[in-house]
Amino acid sequence: MDSLILFLIGILSIGAIYTILCLALNLEAGVDGLWDLGIVSFFGIGAYTYVLLTAAPAEHHQSYVLGLELPIWIGVLGAAVMGGLAALLIGAPSLRLKREYFLITTLAFAEVIRQIYSNELWLTNGVAGIYGLAPPFSEALSPDARHVTIFALLILAVAIVYWLVRACTASPFGRSLKALRENEPLAMTAGINPFALHIRVFVLAGAFAGVAGAFYVWYNTLIVPGQFVADVTFFVWTALIIGGIGNNVGALLGGFLFIILHDALRFLPLSNDMAEVISSVRTALIGVILILVLRWRPEGIVRERPVTIPVRR
Amino acid sequence: MEIIVFGMISGCIILFGALGFSMTLKAEGFINVAHGQMLLLGAYLALAFSSFGLGMVFSTLLVMVCCGFIGVLIYRFLYSPVKNRGILVLLFTSVGVAYAINGIVGALAGKRVMAYDLPPVRALRIDDVPIMTIYELMIVGFALVAAIAVHLFLTATWVGKSIRAVADNFDLARVRGFDPRRTSDYVWFIASALAGVAGVFSGIIGSLHLGMGWQQIIIILAATVLGGLGSIYGVMLASVLLGIGMEIGITILPSNYRTGVAFLIIIAILFLRPEGLQSLWAPRGGARI
Amino acid sequence: MLEAHDIHHSFGGVKAVDGVSLSVPPGRIVGLIGTNGAGKTTLFNVVSGYLRAGSGRVTYNGEDIQGEPPHRIARRGIVRTFQTPTGFPRMTVLENMLVFARGQEPSVVRALTRRREAGAISPDLSDRAQEILALFGLAGKRDVWAQDLGAPELKMLEFARTTMAKPHYLLLDEPAAGVNVALLDKLTEAIFRLRDEGVTFLIVDHNLGFICRVCEFIYAMADGRVICEGDPDQVVNDPGVIDCYIGSASGDR
Repeated sequence: MDSLILFLIGILSIGAIYTILCLALNLEAGVDGLWDLGIVSFFGIGAYTYVLLTAAPAEHHQSYVLGLELPIWIGVLGAAVMGGLAALLIGAPSLRLKREYFLITTLAFAEVIRQIYSNELWLTNGVAGIYGLAPPFSEALSPDARHVTIFALLILAVAIVYWLVRACTASPFGRSLKALRENEPLAMTAGINPFALHIRVFVLAGAFAGVAGAFYVWYNTLIVPGQFVADVTFFVWTALIIGGIGNNVGALLGGFLFIILHDALRFLPLSNDMAEVISSVRTALIGVILILVLRWRPEGIVRERPVTIPVRR
Repeated sequence: MEIIVFGMISGCIILFGALGFSMTLKAEGFINVAHGQMLLLGAYLALAFSSFGLGMVFSTLLVMVCCGFIGVLIYRFLYSPVKNRGILVLLFTSVGVAYAINGIVGALAGKRVMAYDLPPVRALRIDDVPIMTIYELMIVGFALVAAIAVHLFLTATWVGKSIRAVADNFDLARVRGFDPRRTSDYVWFIASALAGVAGVFSGIIGSLHLGMGWQQIIIILAATVLGGLGSIYGVMLASVLLGIGMEIGITILPSNYRTGVAFLIIIAILFLRPEGLQSLWAPRGGARI
Repeated sequence: MLEAHDIHHSFGGVKAVDGVSLSVPPGRIVGLIGTNGAGKTTLFNVVSGYLRAGSGRVTYNGEDIQGEPPHRIARRGIVRTFQTPTGFPRMTVLENMLVFARGQEPSVVRALTRRREAGAISPDLSDRAQEILALFGLAGKRDVWAQDLGAPELKMLEFARTTMAKPHYLLLDEPAAGVNVALLDKLTEAIFRLRDEGVTFLIVDHNLGFICRVCEFIYAMADGRVICEGDPDQVVNDPGVIDCYIGSASGDR
């Protein structure tokens, strides 16, 4: 298949994964006002769960637990469940803290978890990561066809997540979340229980991020702790800020746009040194764009707009 | 014993970074993620200066001045205009600044690990027991000087008092004649200069690499939280304790968990006693220095 | 019956409320006045559940509600307003109303399962909201963000919200603050209308004229204590009250 097409499919696949993360982050940070700097925690936990459930048992040069060779759908489900569970465990104590403290705590948890992946060889094969993971459908399809199929599945996944997230935001649940974001004391006198709602949305976002993690493994066929650094969290936030925080379309746009901007240059064949410089320039560019967007268009490209509520007839 | 000494040394380096971080946190009210990259900038600038043959000491001083000015410029042009948009916007603007600095330094200097061209020295000895090298001794000395200087600055000078006044009550300070804008300039200059120095010292003790900024900001964050967010004296004490604590920590846990220990400390403090060490001498609910 | 028993509260050594008891019988409009610093806001925050008193009890129909979180108190049917009626700025007027409507359960499961229904509201709900909005002159602003409304409209929206909620007890926090005479009349009208529909009021304000016009029974506070309690005539003629109000902005009668 044409290498350009394949490259595009690859970029859009990653874009889809980021978009799912953006939709999750938007739900907890845009609709509800949680300052979560630890979304990569659930991304990583989902990814590792998927691997540990679906991979073959560890061979002599690698060491990790489980390796149950379960079907991919169970792996994805497991990723969602573990992502949500982790969110429950982290959120229960953390969501009781003040905003600034919550922010730091989520960041801290994300880093501690990553260090656990890196250091606990018996659990995850440590820093070296786990390689040679068979991508889904590898027996049935040729590599090219497989890439296209995975891409199609990812787009389907984005559509489903979008559909679900939209249902949440349009409902009384979504309205209550927005109320908490806008004016928590007033929301309380309307009978809204802040902690109960925050933890629910945090768990939901964790589950979605976990699923994204499983898809990430599909795409990469390997898993390494270095993939789950805090940068991911910051990139997802950046993508959401650019796309438009507080609305789902903005999340959709932001996820794809960010990845396109970030990875477009990878297609060019460059020498090693040049590639290094370009990657640094890219980082700097992201920083500059973030600064500019926050200064001149903080609502993002797609602004949040007043909602017209339909009346059932 | 070695643990204590090395802990103290790393604590002093943390102190330089955390002191500035705490100052801007207290004065501006937001977490400046880019502070870690200011460290990086300082370290690499010193490398550049010394490669022009300027000598380490002079390079360090020059770095202080340069970083100080850059810090003020960043504040004036990038942070100040969005101040009224809330902490989150400021935080992410600082994330943007962090990426910008990291990218620029990376593009110019490359991703290789580097080191300063310093003559190797043997450790000074007491009773034939090696304690620390002359560089490390200088770092400790400078840290003490810096701590005392900052203390005097905040309590004895006009500018210092205005910083405290502005931090406590912006409007009241304005009425009393303190100029918040000038005050901010001073805060950012000092904080950035200290960060630059922290970077240089970090490079002397260890090596220079593009990830050092992020690595340090984590530890700085831990020290700040431990000391009590925004407490200057708390962070001084916390830096040293943290340095020693991390060294002790890696005797129990595997050494790769060094920064993990810092994070666990952050989590523990925030859950158990969010005011941090500051609560030992300040009343609950009161934001003091 | 909402009651406060012997409430004490200090802020860092300063006694804000010094042994105050009050009761709000059902169906009545009770007022709480005092100059700034008299302790009425503190007391109000204690009674509405937003502040935990140092000592004393707050009971509702005999049950101790002191220390309950505000949302639980709200679910009992005790709703309060806030001095600056910003509402929910980046939500529409209708959304502001719906948040306070009864029966809008914020359930995740419902949201995810009854997808088609969950986004829309019933015609009854919509009509009721529209009626109330019309009463307060906000009919045309249904889909406008609250932050795009003017200050008087925000005040009206606040009352519209609380009307939508139809609580048993409504605690009003300085409703007359910064409000002109015409608007004040409308507010008074709204209060009486709600009272006729069975809502009980506790109103705190320092506009003596307004309180006397609206309330049937008034507690007057100064220095953390109740210095006088009775119907408007009694309170207005009480020497202690007159003492406090000479020289302070007491509004018009």
